Amino acid sequence: MKGLPYKIAGLLLIIFSLTYGLWTEVPELPIIEQSIRNLFYHVSMWFAMVAMMAASFGNAIGFLSSENMARDRRSISLAETGMFFSVMGLLTGMLWAKFTWGAWWTNDPKLNGTAITMLIYLAYFVLRNSIDDPRKRARISGVYNIFAFVMMIVFIGILPRMTDSLHPGNGGNPGFNSYDLDNRLRLVFYPAVLGWILVGTWIASLRYRLRTLEE
Amino acid sequence: MKNTWVLVRRYFSQEVRNSNVLFSLGLYLVGVAYLIYLLNGGSVPADKVWNTLLWIVVFFGAIQLSSRSFEFESNDYFYYYQTIAGPGATIIAKLLFNSAYIAVISTVTWGLFSVFFGNPVYNNILFGLALLLGSVGCSVVLTLTSGVAQRTQGNATLGAILALPLLLPILQLTSVLNLQAIVGVPTNEALNLLGSLGALDVGIGLLAYLLFPYLWQD
Repeated sequence: MKGLPYKIAGLLLIIFSLTYGLWTEVPELPIIEQSIRNLFYHVSMWFAMVAMMAASFGNAIGFLSSENMARDRRSISLAETGMFFSVMGLLTGMLWAKFTWGAWWTNDPKLNGTAITMLIYLAYFVLRNSIDDPRKRARISGVYNIFAFVMMIVFIGILPRMTDSLHPGNGGNPGFNSYDLDNRLRLVFYPAVLGWILVGTWIASLRYRLRTLEE
Repeated sequence: MKNTWVLVRRYFSQEVRNSNVLFSLGLYLVGVAYLIYLLNGGSVPADKVWNTLLWIVVFFGAIQLSSRSFEFESNDYFYYYQTIAGPGATIIAKLLFNSAYIAVISTVTWGLFSVFFGNPVYNNILFGLALLLGSVGCSVVLTLTSGVAQRTQGNATLGAILALPLLLPILQLTSVLNLQAIVGVPTNEALNLLGSLGALDVGIGLLAYLLFPYLWQD
């Protein structure tokens, strides 16, 4: 089995974060209370999503410069995996929002950013389905992928910093980093991020190999 | 550069000759503005609603315009245009033309709204600048996505589907600026936001310029 070490490492890190994340002691904060443990599961989804989308973007650039069809198959497989992580991040986030902010959905810049990211990548999938010729599909959807990724970064990375948000670290709301994200949380959070990125890579590579076999 | 100007002039004369298209766009703007007036019972909407409605009218006008953006490069004409003008000249010409066009659409809509609902804007210069920068941003996104849609062989609705999510960041930033102009923030205090919108326009314009050659080949 190719790449066995990273797959095992990813699985172990996830198992560690799932179990130790429930077990470890967490800072006691009002309102958030024990739901702060969702940090390990919710935020790591977004880190994994951005990593997948960035890799998809990189492969789209790679395809346009090399015309290598394998790059295109990697690009779409990674985008699909990223989409999966964004759905998971959205669901865990909605659950968290219900218990801390009192509503499933709020008009928050980060939530809007998420909704738009999902729309952008759904449009990308629609675009791919509407072109039959594989080489043409790869080139045109590659162009859209690059443009879409840049707009997504603007929308989730830059715009929320210019407006108020319920999320930590924006507007008048202090970030976890300032005093809350203590070392106990970091000990679980960073392995969770790394673990999900590794497993995401694994999922994407399976989808890539399936695509290669189909063609 | 010479090619670009020739193309811009060509797009312009094409638009003037196709006067029925121009009229239908104008009719759409007047019709929708009046429809809002009628449905609203002739009363003046609140500032925020005024701004939202303005951008919705401009948005659909711009989508309608961009769906025809590559009409004349369809089918066999595509190869003809490909041989006489490079992709660089083509995209710059399209961007200039569409930006000017959408800027005109949004200014006309602003005028129509002023007629029907009055002009709630306090700082007109800031509002005009925001409208202009927003139009440029919209035109970049719409030009690239309609180019993408055109290459998929005439799927007209696809252009709108592709453009919609990409337009939202620009429209949101622009409407924040517009609301500031309505409440009367001085122009020099909004320079930060104006600068970000301008930088965003330049950035995506450059990106469109770099990416377009990959679309413009068969």
